Amino acid sequence: MSDAVLTPSPVRTIAAKDIRDALRDRFILIVTAFLGLAATVALVTGAIALRGDVATYEAAKATLLAIGKSADAIKAPEFYPLRLLRGAIEQIEIIGAAIAILLGYRSAASERGRQTLALIFTRPIRRWQFVAGKALAGVGLLAGGLALVLGGLTLVLHLMSGIGLTADDLLRIAIVWGVALTYTACFFLFSFILTLHMKQPSHALLVAFAVWLLLVLIAPQIGDTLDPDNQVAGGVFKQLNIAKPDQVQIMKGFATYETLRDGIEQASVTKHFERFTFAVLGIKATYAGMPLGAILTEMLGNLVWIFLTALGLGALALALPINPDRLSKA
Amino acid sequence: MELAPSATWLIASQSARFVLREKTVALLAALFVTLVLISAWLGWQATATVDRIYIDAAAFLQKSGQPVPSNPVLDISPLSLMRNMSVYVALIGALSAIVIGNRLVGLDRKAGVLPLIGTRPFSRATYAKGKIAALGGLILLLALIAGVIAAATFLLLPAVVPNAAQWAQLAGFIGVSALYMAIFGLVGLGAGAAARSETVGLLVPVTLWLTLTFIFPQLTANLNPTAAINPISALAPLPETPFFHAAAQFLGPFSLADAYKFASAGLLDYLPQGIASPAFVPPLADLMLATLLAATFAWRALTRLSMAQGDYNV
Repeated sequence: MSDAVLTPSPVRTIAAKDIRDALRDRFILIVTAFLGLAATVALVTGAIALRGDVATYEAAKATLLAIGKSADAIKAPEFYPLRLLRGAIEQIEIIGAAIAILLGYRSAASERGRQTLALIFTRPIRRWQFVAGKALAGVGLLAGGLALVLGGLTLVLHLMSGIGLTADDLLRIAIVWGVALTYTACFFLFSFILTLHMKQPSHALLVAFAVWLLLVLIAPQIGDTLDPDNQVAGGVFKQLNIAKPDQVQIMKGFATYETLRDGIEQASVTKHFERFTFAVLGIKATYAGMPLGAILTEMLGNLVWIFLTALGLGALALALPINPDRLSKA
Repeated sequence: MELAPSATWLIASQSARFVLREKTVALLAALFVTLVLISAWLGWQATATVDRIYIDAAAFLQKSGQPVPSNPVLDISPLSLMRNMSVYVALIGALSAIVIGNRLVGLDRKAGVLPLIGTRPFSRATYAKGKIAALGGLILLLALIAGVIAAATFLLLPAVVPNAAQWAQLAGFIGVSALYMAIFGLVGLGAGAAARSETVGLLVPVTLWLTLTFIFPQLTANLNPTAAINPISALAPLPETPFFHAAAQFLGPFSLADAYKFASAGLLDYLPQGIASPAFVPPLADLMLATLLAATFAWRALTRLSMAQGDYNV
């Protein structure tokens, strides 16, 4: 048997070592638990609120029936179990991305902090293999963490919903896991590249967080704030008693404004992640009950955007030459 | 004869200058100022769009013979143009304050100058006072910039004329914003002094900020994270269940983002009628108590800082 078969590749060795290190110091476990807690709180509070809506509806229906009126006048709350994942998805898009930044920072900073980068490069290893090993470990850790969080949420949802989840529901959650992994990988790679190449690792962390703020919170917030319907409590059209078809007609006169608003949102990978996952899980009302194939076709643009961002950053991480001046702690 | 400046003043002014030289602090501060400017534009643009929609909708309703309701823009106070500023203070302002607090002590620790500072003729209490004063000064500077931008916006927009009471409310909002940033700055300062590593010193306050901004509002009002960062959506009524009423009342005082949200909405006149903070401690008192608590934490951490140790332990 040749040595090539017996000796693991440098990429695998570095990835395995990084994963062992991350599990040993329990950092990944702590941050995964934090994300799991945030997502579970979102799921449970959403379920409690829905239960409240159902109770209010039942009480109103009973009152109407008791006075001999039809219950058709009031709208029954809609129940799609996957919709309860809305808050959890938003936590993944915000806190999950922040955790990915921390993982990327730690992955690059650990070698610089321990002054081991120079030593690694005295071994018969190519620089791209070092970067690929690190990236593989980071993506592997994110995959495991997200699988734990989404797996736990699925279990809670299955037990709480009362009607159980179908195979189609589970497939949708699995797709969301894959896309969430790609989305968080973008932030991991971005932070990893900055930390490996900037003069001071701590500055790289702060710059990565500044970009996180812009992409994850501020760009979607600007888009959301510019939505005219979010300017008046309850919605401007609701306050003016204007029906949906008429709203569309009126908004035709604001096409440029809406294009600008949408463009600001589109600039953020977070918004693409949100649009895709909200459609797949039926959180956005127009996609509730729609077959998965049709949703995936319609959401292909968002999916391509997320994958291209991750691929682009991955290629950049591999292509950038590691500067010998950055081999040690700054 | 010229009086020698006090040790506290020397520490405060030198620390503030040192921190301001940091590129990342400058980057975050510049981001904050830019976003404050954007928030002024956003408020104006969004309100103007609602006004134009109303004009179109009124024409449409008249044509179809339906009654035309009053323009919702007329019910909006001019101060509410600045409502997005509260979101940016809660996001970038709080984060900048954490970084400033962390750097104020982190730079000394990283440079390994604490043993040298320990040889100087002043106590650790003086050192702590100097650092807290530097933090207070820098946060006031950020708040002042935000206030100047807000005031300039009102002066430049001839259609928007706040009265004397509204100018006072705007000043109150800037004060509350400074208080909110100070809480996170003090936690950043305390954690930077108490933590064994530079990263932990930064991560602890950031985790606290994430928890208060995105997790607590879900517990107290079932507010999803993206709704929590929209000044209007964040003020939705509580879900009608005993759980949320109890959670809002008892967890409300710990939910500082909620307290800041209600205090800002009250001062900037965009708090919807019939909605008030359900917590048993009023928002302003809550923020003051939290500042006191954070100051105590920072004071304890700074006065226990080992002056015999140079760089971080790990």
